[in-house]
Amino acid sequence: MIGTAVPRTPGRAAVRLAIGFLIGVAFWIALSPPYERTLAAGAETLLRWTEWPAVTRLEARRGEILVERADFPPAAPRPGLPAADIHFNFVILVALFALASKPWRGEWLGRFALAAGLLWFVHVVALVFQVRSVYATALGPWSAAHYGSISRNFWAGGFHFYQIAGRFAAPLAIWWPFAGIERSERAQEGGRRRQRRKTETSLRVVP
Amino acid sequence: MIAMPTEGRDRRSLSFLARFVGLLIVFYFLVAWRPINDAVIVPFTAAIASVSGAILNVLGERVTVAGTEIRAPTFAVNIENGCNGIETVLLFGAAVLAFPASAPRRALGFAVGFLSIQTLNLLRVVSLFWVGEHHPAFFSSSHTVVWQSVVVLFGVLLFLAWALWRPAGRPSPVRSTRRKG
Repeated sequence: MIGTAVPRTPGRAAVRLAIGFLIGVAFWIALSPPYERTLAAGAETLLRWTEWPAVTRLEARRGEILVERADFPPAAPRPGLPAADIHFNFVILVALFALASKPWRGEWLGRFALAAGLLWFVHVVALVFQVRSVYATALGPWSAAHYGSISRNFWAGGFHFYQIAGRFAAPLAIWWPFAGIERSERAQEGGRRRQRRKTETSLRVVP
Repeated sequence: MIAMPTEGRDRRSLSFLARFVGLLIVFYFLVAWRPINDAVIVPFTAAIASVSGAILNVLGERVTVAGTEIRAPTFAVNIENGCNGIETVLLFGAAVLAFPASAPRRALGFAVGFLSIQTLNLLRVVSLFWVGEHHPAFFSSSHTVVWQSVVVLFGVLLFLAWALWRPAGRPSPVRSTRRKG
């Protein structure tokens, strides 16, 4: 279940996690502004597909996602959602991928890119839930008029789940299958090598 | 010991993932349920605030604690869900329960993990309060990115250490490929 994408000793794993964490923080700081623009665009598209009339506009500005609706009163304040709370877990994903023995290999970087794409989608969905939970719970009489009890709980509960468990679990859940694939392929590669030597082999697993 | 084909191992890996996510959802509903939140989570968070306040006072910070709030003359924090270490305990607990192991080993792993995560979380609360009071410009990034990531990665590290650890004389859960005979 745990593959060679994970070092055999906790000390080595800790060192690699620490290095990966530092690299992740550096990338996260550098890429956050453009990344937040892609999140805003992705979430806006999803929101506009699921609302009628399509009035929501999202704008990433200085670490916040500003929520703009065409039907907001002109003088009303626009809700600003802290973006870092949604996507800081990118750092955790980088650290987990840094656990591998040679994380700079092209193949492994390709898997990381795929995992980062999956995490981006998770962020977009989380942002949709956050905006919807604002609509459902934070706009006073307008919220009460447009959202019933079930939909209020669905959107607010969904975003609360992301805040409490989802944002911490998502990088681990996305990384885990990749780590397993790494191990399996190493085992297959080893099997091919041994087959060439014409020796009988087996992969032994203790359940 | 059994020899497993690649597909079987991948299925086990995905099965672990499914159990992990399922358990996480169940645990979330448990801690988010108001009676449990009010009777367990809030008092537990208040206890964290109380211990953190005591440590800060020992360090000469002169703070007062009221419920889940730690207050100094120039700075205050309110410890909320997501900052009490419970989220990492849920993550760790779900992973330990989803991983194939005996009940005593799981219980031992969970107990050690819970204490270790909460100890680190105390360090997090104390250090964040100190940063907020003396270097407020760094509080937000320290709170959101640095400490949240560090605590979660610590939980992951504990889980990996637990999963790979075997009592003396017993083989590791996954052994490297070796020759037979």
